[in-house]
Amino acid sequence: MSRLPARGSLRIRLLAGTVCWIAVSIAVAGWGLSSLFRRHVELQFHAGLQTHLDQLTAHLALDGQGRPTLGAPLSDPRLRRPYSGLYWQVDVLDGGERAQPASIGVLRSRSLWDDVLIVPPDDPADGRVHRHRLAGPNDSRLGMIERAVRIDDDAAVGGRRFRLVVAADEKLMIEPVARFDGALWLALGVLGGGLIVAALVQVVVGLAPLRRLRVALAQVRDGDRQTLEGAFPAEVMPLVEEFNSVLAHNAAVVERARTQAGNLAHALKTPLSILANATAGRDDEFSRLVVAQVNSASRQVQYHLARAQAAAAVGVPGARTPLQPVVDGLLRTMRRLHAARALELRLSSPAAAVFRGEEQDLQEMLGNLLDNACKWARSRVEVDVGQDGQSVILCVDDDGQGIDATARAAVLRRGARADQQTPGSGLGLAIVDDLAQLYGGHLQLDDSPLGGLRARLTLPAAR
Amino acid sequence: MRILLIEDDAMLQKQVLAGLRSAAYVVDTADNGVDGHHLGDTSPYDAVVLDLGLPRLDGLSVLRRWRAVGRDMPVLILTARDSWHEKVAGIDAGADDYLTKPFHMEELLARLRALIRRAVGHASSELRCGPLWLDTRNGRATVDGQALVLTGHEYRLLAYLMHHRERVISRSDLVEHLYAQDFDRDSNTVEVFIGRLRKKLPPGLIETVRGLGYRLTAPT
Repeated sequence: MSRLPARGSLRIRLLAGTVCWIAVSIAVAGWGLSSLFRRHVELQFHAGLQTHLDQLTAHLALDGQGRPTLGAPLSDPRLRRPYSGLYWQVDVLDGGERAQPASIGVLRSRSLWDDVLIVPPDDPADGRVHRHRLAGPNDSRLGMIERAVRIDDDAAVGGRRFRLVVAADEKLMIEPVARFDGALWLALGVLGGGLIVAALVQVVVGLAPLRRLRVALAQVRDGDRQTLEGAFPAEVMPLVEEFNSVLAHNAAVVERARTQAGNLAHALKTPLSILANATAGRDDEFSRLVVAQVNSASRQVQYHLARAQAAAAVGVPGARTPLQPVVDGLLRTMRRLHAARALELRLSSPAAAVFRGEEQDLQEMLGNLLDNACKWARSRVEVDVGQDGQSVILCVDDDGQGIDATARAAVLRRGARADQQTPGSGLGLAIVDDLAQLYGGHLQLDDSPLGGLRARLTLPAAR
Repeated sequence: MRILLIEDDAMLQKQVLAGLRSAAYVVDTADNGVDGHHLGDTSPYDAVVLDLGLPRLDGLSVLRRWRAVGRDMPVLILTARDSWHEKVAGIDAGADDYLTKPFHMEELLARLRALIRRAVGHASSELRCGPLWLDTRNGRATVDGQALVLTGHEYRLLAYLMHHRERVISRSDLVEHLYAQDFDRDSNTVEVFIGRLRKKLPPGLIETVRGLGYRLTAPT
């Protein structure tokens, strides 16, 4: 059976769509969560700087000599650990150029050790807070905030101005973000993997009815079932029902074709009988002509009737015929029709095989073979039924005189007869071979172990 | 021997009727299933020739009805339907033989003879009773090799007795099997024909069994 090229796959289509959607969703969610967290950490970072700056501002005072001093130490212990990443510094602004402090680092956190923070030139208004990034000790990058404050001093008109700087290593901000991102992408990866597995399961489970449909169709094609059977989802059911109605329609067409062919043959044969009988007992040229033409016409009717009926049936899916009842029925019939011969007719072993095709066609083939064997047998006819893989093999043996090996091919030709003496149209074996070939089988003639002819019929088996 | 012929085609019925009569059978005819069934149901026949495609009641149904009530006379189906599927159905409905159209009259007659013979348990087409031989194939009767010259009625009577030899046959049996349905039976009484037949046969072959009927028996 030829296969049409498939255009895409439902499974791949569903899977690809789902996987794309999952990937995009997870990427967007990851990016969003990561940004949120980064922003949160940044805010925390700057809030921390701000707190320290506020503390610094609060504690800054002037001592008796007008030098800046801290009223109390700042609380964060990191400010006392050298190069801990968190620093503060106080520059003296007044007296110098604009934005150029007169003295840098007059007061520093202990964590700065010997370093000073070189703040970019800037001159914020009093009380305003500015942010900068700058290089810190040990090649670190620092985020810092500064604030200019004016402290009233009796010794100086207008008070003294200081720049208060708090800085922190940006690593304090980057590291948690990196850790969070690592954990986040791991979690999202697991989630994505889980979703894809779920989608895969869903596709397989969701498409399972289609696979069942395919199995059911194969059963119909192999003749195991007459129609598509089983419960299918509502989306597939209309397809199943349509297909079943097509099958039913096919069967009806075949039945009608058979009936019509049969009616035509019936209508022709009665006039042919009358013509033949009208010439009975006469032996002139006209009578001989009539007899010859009547015989020819009835042979044609029989041949084409058999072919038309079989051709109508071949290709109808779902036909299956168990052999045993057919063989039994034909043996009963043969015993009656050939009762005068007192033949021993038997089936060598029970026939369990099933023919993939119409019962009537099997009867026609086996009937002709048995009838032929009964005509020629001296005393015995044996039927043997076997199965060989995909084929049913029917052997009909007789103990008659057989057919010469050279004449066998001729017997299978339409209308040929091995012997004109025995009644019959001479079409029997040729029709059997024709029908068998319509079903993809064949008829083979051999010598029989019983001494006569063995007709070996090979036909497709149904599972 | 009395035959029932059920065939709906008038021309074919006429031909078969002529063929059967020329073979010395007494024949009743019907051209539809209902009448045919009634005849076969009510009268004794030695054989029936039955078409399948009949008006009013098809042949297979007629046959099945007879068999269902135990009518077991031999039935030969004569039909155009020649597929094995139909032959199996015919035989399974209770037919004894199956002949398809177009057919030769000789073959029909040969098969009828065989059916009638087998129905009463004879294997050979030549029947023998002491010095008397009857060849049913050609209707020839001989006594010690000498051919008998018989009329149609005498032949039918002799053939019936030969088929049922060594058995007592009642007068009414003979009447049923030797005359057609529409025959005026009073004008040709069985006794007259028995008397004529006795004159042509060796004495003692046909016995009269008082009160019961006749018996054809070989002299001991």
